[in-house]
Order: sequence, then C-alpha cells, then structure tokens
Amino acid sequence: MTTEQKTEVRKPEKEFESSVTVLEKQTQRRIFKIIVIGDSNVGKTCLTYRFCCGKFPDKTEATIGVDFREKMVEVDSENLKLQLWDTAGQERFRKSMVQHYYRNVHAVVFVFDVTKMSSFENMPGWIEECDRHNLNKEIPRIFVGNKCDMTDKIAVNTNLAQKFADSHNMPLFETSAKDDEKANHVDAIFMTLAHKLKNSKPMMPLHLSQYGTGYQNNDIVNINDSPERRGLRRATQDADGNKDGNCAC
Amino acid sequence: MKLTNGSTTESLATINPAIIESDNDTDKGCFDEIYLEKKQQIEACLSEENVDIDKLREFAISPGGFVTDDLRQRAWPKMVGIDVENIPPKPDEAVLHGHRDYNQVVLDVNRSLKRFPPGMDDNIRLGLQDQLVDLIMRVLVRHDELHYYQGYHDICVTFLLVVGEDVAFALVDKLSMNHLRDFMDANMDRTKHILNYMYPLISRVNPKLTDFLERSEVGTIFSLSWLITWYGHVLPHLRDIVRCYDFFIACHPLMPIYLAAAIVLYREKEILENECDMCILHGLLSKIPDDLPYEQLIVRAGQLYKKFSPDEVAHDAILNFKKSQQLAKARIQNRQKYLKPVKKKRWFPLLYQDGSNIYLKITFWTLTAVISATVIAYLKPSDWDMNIAGWWT
Ligand SMILES: Nc1nc2c(ncn2[C@@H]2O[C@H](COP(=O)(O)OP(=O)(O)OP(=O)(O)O)[C@@H](O)[C@H]2O)c(=O)[nH]1
Ligand SMILES: [Mg+2]
Repeated sequence: MTTEQKTEVRKPEKEFESSVTVLEKQTQRRIFKIIVIGDSNVGKTCLTYRFCCGKFPDKTEATIGVDFREKMVEVDSENLKLQLWDTAGQERFRKSMVQHYYRNVHAVVFVFDVTKMSSFENMPGWIEECDRHNLNKEIPRIFVGNKCDMTDKIAVNTNLAQKFADSHNMPLFETSAKDDEKANHVDAIFMTLAHKLKNSKPMMPLHLSQYGTGYQNNDIVNINDSPERRGLRRATQDADGNKDGNCAC
Repeated sequence: MKLTNGSTTESLATINPAIIESDNDTDKGCFDEIYLEKKQQIEACLSEENVDIDKLREFAISPGGFVTDDLRQRAWPKMVGIDVENIPPKPDEAVLHGHRDYNQVVLDVNRSLKRFPPGMDDNIRLGLQDQLVDLIMRVLVRHDELHYYQGYHDICVTFLLVVGEDVAFALVDKLSMNHLRDFMDANMDRTKHILNYMYPLISRVNPKLTDFLERSEVGTIFSLSWLITWYGHVLPHLRDIVRCYDFFIACHPLMPIYLAAAIVLYREKEILENECDMCILHGLLSKIPDDLPYEQLIVRAGQLYKKFSPDEVAHDAILNFKKSQQLAKARIQNRQKYLKPVKKKRWFPLLYQDGSNIYLKITFWTLTAVISATVIAYLKPSDWDMNIAGWWT
C-alpha cells in the first residue's frame, strides 16, 4: 500500500481511529450496480452466472424476485466490483417488485432471446419501464441478444436488432451464455460496460449513496462515487453513525 | 377418479426410494427413533372413523410434523378437507394448454430440475415434470381469477412428490383459494403487503436489528421467494420443506411470514457482522443456510404468532406499505394505472380457523389507498369454494 492512497480524513472520535486507519489502508474500490432485465427465459440468469461464476449453470431455475451476483474486475489497473441484479422476467414481478432495484443502478443490461421474436418485441416495454423509474438517461445501457448458439432457430435478425439498438443509443451484443467458445465474449460485454462505468462521471447524489461501511470486511470499501471526492468522507459519516450504537458495523 | 388412495401410494413407491436415499440419509434412523411414538399416535388418529382434525393440527405443528411422507399422504387431505375419492377428472389437453399462463408454466417446470431428488431416473423425472404442468394447469383452468406466478410451481412440485398428481391437484386447488390466494392476484400488491408484516414483527423483538436492516435499505424482497414458495424454492432438502408444509397447512395463512421473521431474528449475529449495505445483506439473507434448526424456528414462529397476532401487526404493516407506496410514488412519475382505482375500500380480514370449528374473527377497517393482504377466508371445508369476492363490500 503506497502512501499516495492515503487521504486526509477527519477523525471524529478516538475510538474510531483504528477503523479509519483500516480504511485508509484499503485499496479504494469502486462498486457498480448493474441491473439485468428482459423477458422470462431469455437467459438473464445464465448470462450473469456465466460472467460471475465462469460457466453455464447446469440447472437454472426461474428467478423469483431478484438474485444478486457479484464479481471483481480489474480495469486499467483499478479494481472494481460489479454487482449484478438478476431480475425475474415475469411481468407481475417486474411491475411490483423490480422497481426497488432500478434505483441507484449505474448501468442497465437489456436482454432478449434471438430465437424468440416476442422477447425482442417486448423490449420497448422494458425500456419505457426503465425510463419511467427516473433513471438518469446518461446511464450506460447495453442491448444483448442471447442464445446465438442456436443458429438454426434465429428469429430476430441482426439488422433488425441493430436498428433498434441504434434508435435507443445502445450498443448491441449478440452472444451465448451457453456456448463455451463464447465465454470470453460474455466477459467482454460486461468488461465493456465496466470500462464505460469506470470512465463515467459520478452520478449519484450523496444522499442516495450513503451506506454503512463494515470495517470488518477488510477488502471492501463501499464507494459509489469517485473515491477522492466521496469515499472517505462517507466513511467518516458512517463512523459518526456508529455513535448511536444501533449498528454493529 | 382414477387414482384411489392405494394406487397413489403404489405410484409413489417408485419415487420415494430416491427421495429417502438422497434426503433422509444418515439421520433417518435416528429421526424415526425419536418420533416412533409420535408416528404411532398419528397412525392411530388417522385410523379413526372420524378423524380429529384438531389433533392432526397439533401433530402438524409439534416437532417432527407428520414425520413421514406416508403419513402426510393421509394427513394432508384430511387437514385441507378434500375427498380423495372424488377428485375432479383432468380436463382435455386442449383446455389445459390453451390457458394464458401455459407457456410460462412450461418454461418454469422445464427449469425445475433442482427440485427433483438427485439421482432420480431421467425418464421418471420427465414424467413427473409433465404431471407437474398438468397439475398446475388443472388448478388454473378451474379458477379464472387465479394468476400463475413464478414460484407457484415450487409449491406444486412439493405436493406432487409427496402425494402424486391427483391428490396434489386437489390439495393445491383448495390451498390456492385460501392460503395461497393472495399471491395469485393479477398483480403482486397483496404479496408485497404481506412482506410488510416482517419488519414490524422483527422490530417488536429486536429494534436494533430492524434499524440496521432498514438503514441498509435491503427491503423485504429477499424473503419473497420464501413466502410465495412456502420455502420450497430455498430449502435444500425436501424433508425440511415438507416439514414446513405440515406447519403451514395447519396454521394461519400468514404463518410463512412469521417464519421469515423468526429466521431473520435467528440470524441476527451473522447479519450485524456484515456491512450495512443493501447488496451484501440481500445476498446474505436470500440464501438460507443448510443447517437452520427448523424445529426450533417453527416453535419461534408460533410464539411470535401468539404474541403478535396479524391483527396487531397489521397496522404497522399498513404503515410500512403506505410508506413504501409513497416512496415509490415519489420516485415514479407515471405510475402504472393499476394502483389508482384502489380508494376507500372496506376490508374483512383475518378469518381464521381454529381446528375444525370455524372461528371467525372479523376486523373491519377502512383504508384509504391501501390494499390489504389479509382478505383471506379460511373457512370450514364446505365453505372453501366460496368466492373471496363475496367478502368484499
Ligand atoms: N441454447 C441456449 N440456451 C440458453 C442460453 N442461455 C440460457 N439458455 C437456456 O434458456 C433457459 C432460460 O435461462 P434463464 O437464464 O433461466 O432465463 P432468465 O432470463 O433468467 O428467466 P427468468 O428468471 O424467468 O426471468 C434455460 O433453460 C437455459 O438453459 C444460451 O445462450 N443458449
Ligand atoms: Mg432468471
């Protein structure tokens, strides 16, 4: 750990000194939340599993509500944590449950199934939904056509998908969560997003990005924003928050 | 009906060895030993001409539940009040396949492999998956007001594995109009509302933990799959799932949320050791550890229920619901239309059965712009078919 990584911190109370010191020693690690949405059965769970766990799951189940997966990635020698919210595709969930997760996300991945026209045709609905939740329009969005391995069953041709993606200002990726040869491709998609996120400006107002920070969890510093500007300041606030004794973190 | 009790049991004999092998493994002997006496008592109770439902209910709740799947096959229909000799026949395939939810059901059943005992022969499993689709569709085509949700199949597969298709159908058919009714609305408002019972319960026992959870903004969705699948989606062993089912069938429809509160409370230490962060806590909580002491948690859930009745918690739950509604509203400009018409409705919640006698407890209150989850008619079997809508003003 080099000294450059240390930053001035206001030390609120003596007893928190040690936590702050621990924090100072951390590599400052940014966390990005990515929501993955699209119709049921398009392969959202398989894609996120492929990326986070490195393989195609042998038994997937319907997602009920939301599942959560994460992965550490390195982008230009910065370690980032990507948190993927894998949501349920059935309409009833999306209408009443998934909203909660649209908040505070840094990127959106829209997934359709290239072998199923309806999953493509439903995309405007998903996009509208996403807009409706007041997501910052600047948020990176990508458009993923999954199940490309089923070459004889392709129902949505690339041109059509590309046109749609263009009209919504999103890059299109066609891929397969299943095909082992495409594994790098799935990684590349999420890495593209990670690059974009890394270079993007901070987008969370401070009040939305307040978290407790558990110093026990030594390699995690929860920072939504650029660390120089926000991270340590937030950590200090959290230390303040500790005073009321309501939280063990 | 084609399948009598006898043939049901017979067909299950091909399924059960696999279940026993994989599920009850080493502690089976010990398990049987502990509950030997209880098994005999249940046996005796079930052999009587007029089965004492109150007594069955006690067995279902007390440690071990109905102990074995053989006893469950006989006890569950009695508890729910179905006549296994008179199960409505299966409609034509065209009817089953023509239902609006058919495609989703097939997608979900195709992905339900995890729910079948490991090592089960593929052909047997495929056959059971077909039966699972049929059993779900049979219920749905009978009640147009019921809407399929992802997770319903997790409940149905549990019944299928224990009692076979026909009896499972009859059980699920009745439960869907009662215990599961709130989950099967066109939307999930009432389901969400039931989830709102969890924090008020936790906070009555452990305000510190509630505060921590609330601050993390983890919400309640980590327990959604617990609730709407009756833990079928999340508990790794079928033996634990069926044990919970004994309990839930015997209790008030809100009992699954009491169990959720008991589980969260039990995991206090583990929770507080983590960062006060939504993602981390969601990740932690949504995965139920393998080795939870289920019997103990069931007792705990029962205690919570006795101490803090749904009536008592309802008020807080409604406040929570309002709060989350308002938050959502503030965030969402173009709110979906479906929430709008709900204004000034009267609610007739909390009808619940105490044994075979009906004990109706009706609380009236007027709510503005709030949807109550508690409009559940839990009536004696002959009244069970009554349309829920009849209870609305
Ligand atoms: N051939 C092929 N099949 C895939 C691929 N990705 C997923 N699948 C299959 O598609 C089905 C659905 O995949 P899931 O990942 O469960 O779909 P989902 O989008 O998460 O669905 P919900 O949870 O219901 O919203 C599964 O049976 C997968 O095996 C793929 O790239 N190629
Ligand atoms: Mg999924």
